[in-house]
Amino acid sequence: MTSSPAPTLTTAARAVAATKIYGSGDTEVRALDAIDVDFERGRFTAIMGPSGSGKSTLMHCMAGLDTVTEGQVIIGDTDLTSLSEKDLTLLRRDHVGFVFQAYNLVPTLTAIENVTLPMDLAGAKGDAAWIDEVVGATGLADRVKHRPSELSGGQQQRVAVARALAGKPQIIFADEPTGNVDSNTAGEILSFMRNAVTEMGQTIVMVTHDPVAASYADRVVFLVDGKIVDELLEPTPATIRDHMTRLGA
Amino acid sequence: MFKLAWRNIAQRKIRFALTTLPVVLGVAFVVAVFTLTDSLRATFGDLAEDVTAGTDLTVRAAQEFGSDFDRPTVPDSLVPAIESAEGVYRVYPGVAAFNVVIVDGAGDAIVPQGAPALGFNFDDSSFFLVEGREPAADGEFAADVATVADNGLRIGGTYSINGPTEVRAFELVGTFNFGAPDEHNGLGQTMTAFELDTAQQFLGFDDEVLEVGVVVAPGASPATVKADLEALLDDDYEVITQQAAADEQQADFDEVLSIFSTVLSVFAFIALFVSAFIINNVFQITIGQRVRELGLWRSIGATPAQLVKSVLAESVLVGALATAAGTVGGVGLSRLLMVVLRAGGFELPQGPLDVRLRTIALAAAVGVGVSVAASLSPALRTRRVSPIAALQPEYLLAAAGLRRRLIGGSATLGVGVVLVALALFGGFATAVTLVLAGGGALLAFVGINIVSPAFAAGAARVLGRPVAALMRVPGRLARDNAARNPRRTASTAGALMIGLALVALAAVVGASLTRSFVRTLESSVEADYFITGRSGGFNPNDGFSVQVVDDLAALDELDSVVGFRWAFGAVRVNGSTKDVLSGDMDAMDSHFDADLRAGAMAAGDSSTSMALHVDPARDLGVTAGDTLEMTFPDNETETLTVAAVYGDARIYGNWVIDSAVWDRHFNRSAFVFASATVAGLSDEPDEAARQQLLTASRAAIDEVLETYPTVQAENRAEFRESQQSQLDSLLVVITVFLGLSLIIAFAGIAITLALSVFERTREIGLLRAVGMTRRQLRRAVRWEAAIVATFGAVLGVGVGVVAGVAATVALPDSFVSDIDIPVASLAFYVVLSAVLGLLAAVFPARRAGRMNILEAISHE
Repeated sequence: MTSSPAPTLTTAARAVAATKIYGSGDTEVRALDAIDVDFERGRFTAIMGPSGSGKSTLMHCMAGLDTVTEGQVIIGDTDLTSLSEKDLTLLRRDHVGFVFQAYNLVPTLTAIENVTLPMDLAGAKGDAAWIDEVVGATGLADRVKHRPSELSGGQQQRVAVARALAGKPQIIFADEPTGNVDSNTAGEILSFMRNAVTEMGQTIVMVTHDPVAASYADRVVFLVDGKIVDELLEPTPATIRDHMTRLGA
Repeated sequence: MFKLAWRNIAQRKIRFALTTLPVVLGVAFVVAVFTLTDSLRATFGDLAEDVTAGTDLTVRAAQEFGSDFDRPTVPDSLVPAIESAEGVYRVYPGVAAFNVVIVDGAGDAIVPQGAPALGFNFDDSSFFLVEGREPAADGEFAADVATVADNGLRIGGTYSINGPTEVRAFELVGTFNFGAPDEHNGLGQTMTAFELDTAQQFLGFDDEVLEVGVVVAPGASPATVKADLEALLDDDYEVITQQAAADEQQADFDEVLSIFSTVLSVFAFIALFVSAFIINNVFQITIGQRVRELGLWRSIGATPAQLVKSVLAESVLVGALATAAGTVGGVGLSRLLMVVLRAGGFELPQGPLDVRLRTIALAAAVGVGVSVAASLSPALRTRRVSPIAALQPEYLLAAAGLRRRLIGGSATLGVGVVLVALALFGGFATAVTLVLAGGGALLAFVGINIVSPAFAAGAARVLGRPVAALMRVPGRLARDNAARNPRRTASTAGALMIGLALVALAAVVGASLTRSFVRTLESSVEADYFITGRSGGFNPNDGFSVQVVDDLAALDELDSVVGFRWAFGAVRVNGSTKDVLSGDMDAMDSHFDADLRAGAMAAGDSSTSMALHVDPARDLGVTAGDTLEMTFPDNETETLTVAAVYGDARIYGNWVIDSAVWDRHFNRSAFVFASATVAGLSDEPDEAARQQLLTASRAAIDEVLETYPTVQAENRAEFRESQQSQLDSLLVVITVFLGLSLIIAFAGIAITLALSVFERTREIGLLRAVGMTRRQLRRAVRWEAAIVATFGAVLGVGVGVVAGVAATVALPDSFVSDIDIPVASLAFYVVLSAVLGLLAAVFPARRAGRMNILEAISHE
């Protein structure tokens, strides 16, 4: 397992011996089993694995939505395991971006209000030029005053990605961002995310089970039974499928 | 369908408890009111039996009309004849009077709260000696054990007693139980008893008694003795049995109690009505949340009618459970009410609680009735759930169209307003008026509730603007969430609207009364001092001795003093009963300006003088100088001369007689109220000299009143203030009685918000994930409640002001002539509602804050 980063890349987030245990005794489940992983700055990483492999748990723990039982999770220079619930919230607000599978936007807020929500919550101004750029890149500049119910599923997801980008976070986590849309729309969303990494220099970690989606990433990490079992650089749908078949997923 | 309903309830215990709570409170209030009044009635019934048990028959003067207080007397000379009649074993001549106030050792008057201070002659049929001895001579008295113990009086001590005619010192020689040998049946009143001659003289009866109790000889039949006595006495007298006397007392008590219970019932039904709003809202929300499940039922073959039935079945279960819990709670609440009323100064008889089957049946009827009626419209909505709903996560039940809503709501509101207007201006009998006003108000509230969703969103946005500006994101979310579901916001606010509308109505009427009173005081009152009895009010049984007026009249600093007395329904003119006021007509003109239209109060021989308002004068075709026949409670008719006809009924009412006339026909001698003018003040132009006259007269009055601790004199400013504070305390009482409705309304806000929070679980998870702190989230929920509460308060105050102005216009001018809208206190109610809204939301806000983010995000 060679997960050592290329020398030009710094680490945006990393897990050290991260272990997550649910239950105890006979019912004990090791969702994460002493995982060591680094996510490099400026790269697009996909996490793949069969159902129950722990890929979502890893993402939740990395993002400060959940806590590990043992080990460390570090975002930038901050060790999440030492943070209080409140500090975790502030860390998510200021340093982490999120894109969920669905229901990403607050229905009472307009698209632009959703985009600026984290910085509004912080009472911060935000970088106006950057926000303009991000919104421009979504191709929805003329729809920013609309409410989510007036946008299509793909548009809603692009607004969600824009929100994740707007605060220039250390890292963005996306949980099956294309799980709920058709393949054309999925392509739009993934291209947008790809651009965000390539053109805007952002860092994205995406959980997916779709080899096509994963092929937009620079690197794919494979999880089975709470352990990282393999990884693939410069993936294509075919090489991913190949790896997955070998892993029995 | 009951099975389905039951499953629903079992699976959603907390929600079910929340739904039931408002009905439980409403039912509990109803049960408490009925149990309390039944218990009081039963206890008092026992008491009336006890008190009357000492005699078999009572002889008293017959009375054709008027209050029992004004019953004519029986001359002493008749007593021996009764005593020597066949079968009579013993006689108990009795007198009784109000306003007999003991001054304790420290010089303070012993003033019972909310109960009279009574004086009697001591007789062993109903007074049972506990310590010391019976009062046997002039200058001696006995008092009830409770008064003696509570006020540290001691046997052998000499105390000053303020009687209806004079103040005199008496020595306390004994204590007694009233009604029963070993138990004092007091209702909080103070009771003093004197030897018969002393009592007659001191209480103002001279050679008369109020009634004669008769104990028949062993072996003699009360019925026979009654017949014999009736034959012996002429038509001016009547003989009643012990049972009839007890029944009469019970009936008197029932009359007072029924006012009390009617008032309480009105408030209880308001509370139920408010809880109906909440239930309706909860059912609307929960059915909205269960649409997918209902769709599933439809897809596997349930008919629309079955869905409706299942919802109704659930509401029946809610009502049934609420009835059970409310009945238990209500019995407890009635105990609490007793404690509260006692603490408030009402002495209530101690006795067991009387929980009747009728009360429980009523509780079940209103509990189930309210919850079924309130769930009817949400139940009917389920007919529109299509089977496809099961498959579409975003399926929403369409609400009634705005147009239909506006038309239906306005129509309901219109009918309600017309009914209320009929009640106010139609001049129907009291019962009809109450039903019209109540039903009309109900329809008006429902109408407003149907219409208000049309503007609830806009109103919430406007009201939320400052919140959004001040609180940034949480404020903006609060505002948008409040505006998000107009029907829900309107319904939640509607529950609060009802309570606040009634509070605002009372506030407007109260302020208008005060302003009218002040206007009268300024424009028509020339007297400088106002003398009132212990309660500072106008209760005819709360007066003061005539000696007070005599003593004040003797002061050089005062020009004249007029003592007033009045009686309701106490005289007859042309066959119909009138309220009448008496005063010294020779002096009245300089005290009050009643807008004289003909003659003068002081015109002619005042010993046979009367005056009347221009309206009855017109009806009877009389003017100054004419004569009128008036019949009094002593069954005598006298021809009186009309001295004056006046145009302003605010001060005197419609009928005035001179004090001399009153004295000839009424037993009650104590004054209820008196006014005084300062000598030389009216023609003194110099302000400094005026002040000097006022200061001097004040000192002189205060010196006289030192002897009479129950009496106070107030100058114009003080009088105005004390009247105002009495009105204010009435407003407080009304608000307290509306308290339960307001509590239910705020509970409704909490319940609705808890359901909304549950509904928005995923959204909350998302907000938390992207960095909203718990604190910010809690704040958003709380301020949403504040906005909804403010909306309800503004709506309620608006409705209340309109209703208050209408009521003020409808009330007779002699009662309230000016309209005043107390803006400051109304604004205070709105602000207070916002604050209480914030507090009500503490629980749902906390729930929202504690949600697990991961579970919330993956919540369906």
